[in-house]
Amino acid sequence: MSDDKPEADKPAAAAEAAHEHDHDHADHDHDHADHDHSHGGHAHGEATAHADGHDHGLAHTTPVWLLFGILGALLVLTVATVSVTSIDLGAQGNLVVAMIIATVKAALVCTFFMHLLWDKKFHAVLFLTSVLFLILFLAMTTNDRGEYQHLVDEYRAQQLQAK
Amino acid sequence: MTEPSTAPEAVKKVSAPPPAAIDHGHDDHGHEAHDPIHAANPHLAHHFDTPQQQFDAGKLGIWLFLLTEVLFFAGLFCAYTVYRAMHPEVFVYAHYFLDTKLGALNTCVLLISSLTAAWAVRNAQLAEKRALMLNIVITIACACTFMCVKYVEYSHKFHDGLLPGKNFQPKEQIWELKSFRDRHPEAAEYAEKLSKLDEKKAAPAAPAAAGKAEPAKVEKLERPTEEELEPLLAAGLVGPRSLDPSAHISRPRMAHVFFGIYFFMTGLHGFHVLIGIGIWIWMLVKASKNQFGANYFGPVDFTALYWHLVDLIWIYLFPLLYLIH
Repeated sequence: MSDDKPEADKPAAAAEAAHEHDHDHADHDHDHADHDHSHGGHAHGEATAHADGHDHGLAHTTPVWLLFGILGALLVLTVATVSVTSIDLGAQGNLVVAMIIATVKAALVCTFFMHLLWDKKFHAVLFLTSVLFLILFLAMTTNDRGEYQHLVDEYRAQQLQAK
Repeated sequence: MTEPSTAPEAVKKVSAPPPAAIDHGHDDHGHEAHDPIHAANPHLAHHFDTPQQQFDAGKLGIWLFLLTEVLFFAGLFCAYTVYRAMHPEVFVYAHYFLDTKLGALNTCVLLISSLTAAWAVRNAQLAEKRALMLNIVITIACACTFMCVKYVEYSHKFHDGLLPGKNFQPKEQIWELKSFRDRHPEAAEYAEKLSKLDEKKAAPAAPAAAGKAEPAKVEKLERPTEEELEPLLAAGLVGPRSLDPSAHISRPRMAHVFFGIYFFMTGLHGFHVLIGIGIWIWMLVKASKNQFGANYFGPVDFTALYWHLVDLIWIYLFPLLYLIH
């Protein structure tokens, strides 16, 4: 395999180490291939992104320590969500806490494992759109169901009386 | 990396101008000769100009697919939400039949496989063939572990008659379950007394038992404490939400629908895991042929993205099905 970048002729492992000095090259290269002016500014050119990992070839490379850190956080949150079940937090309290923990876990997976932090923001927008429509779907259905609860209750009361 | 040694030179000429000449408005359409890039990149399809273009197109494609997957599962999550809002007692009742430990184990297994999947992407980018193959193998092993645990869970449910619809014939009452007894020992004891009373009440139907049953009817239980009654009310075992309100204790109406939702949600998710195993095996074969490197790791990246989505869905399924308070 070859690389369309100037440093591509180095062996891959060595190239990774060398990248620290070549970030400007990498960024320009991305702009060049993406047909996108602003793109490099926020997606690939961000200093924070480069502090942790390196742009390697076509996309960001996630450092191993970060991957393990995220796994650790996810496992801790799993233990937390299991242990919080034994505490009574009111009628919907436990469900709300469980969903908040699940959402934090999902956010960690999306941001780091799925590279959304360093990826084109458009992909994050796409994904969040689907989540938005999921929420709309659930919210509207729940709302609508609630509207008809009294009819269900009346019907049940009638049935109980008939018995 | 398997590239011919002259390849990078050819690519350099065409796609990467010297740093000084870089122009941000520049794009690839000006190149008249595509052949050098394609010659240098055996995995670059003819309809793409550069590996970057090919990668970006694939990445957009997989994200669009993940979007449809979220909406696909949304239907089941909606069914869950509506049903739980209407019959909260059924969820309290049914979750005693699920093994939280197995669910938590499966969560950890999937999380670990997500790490190895993300690590495999890094390995593919850096053309670390051995590490890539190892990480894919660990991912597949985790996926198989997940399916084995699911098999154990499913076969328990089949055995105990915990099936959807008409086939829902639980062999055990929930007050006989360890998960219930451990958490609500007083309630379990009270429920047992109640059910025995119910049995005696039913006995007079048999001929010649009427005389004997009379004292049983007179026999009264002490007024239950709130501690005894609350878990039974919450699970719809007593009160108007139970199957037969005239009985002292019986399972909640509509309990069978929970297992319909349970099997559909975990089943569809398990089906995704199975497909994931298949795709990872495909990736393992490609990796063994030394195909991946800095310019071609899209397939591993996209498989990992799909795998993370499967993990994401489980992250929500686990508390929704197993951790009901």
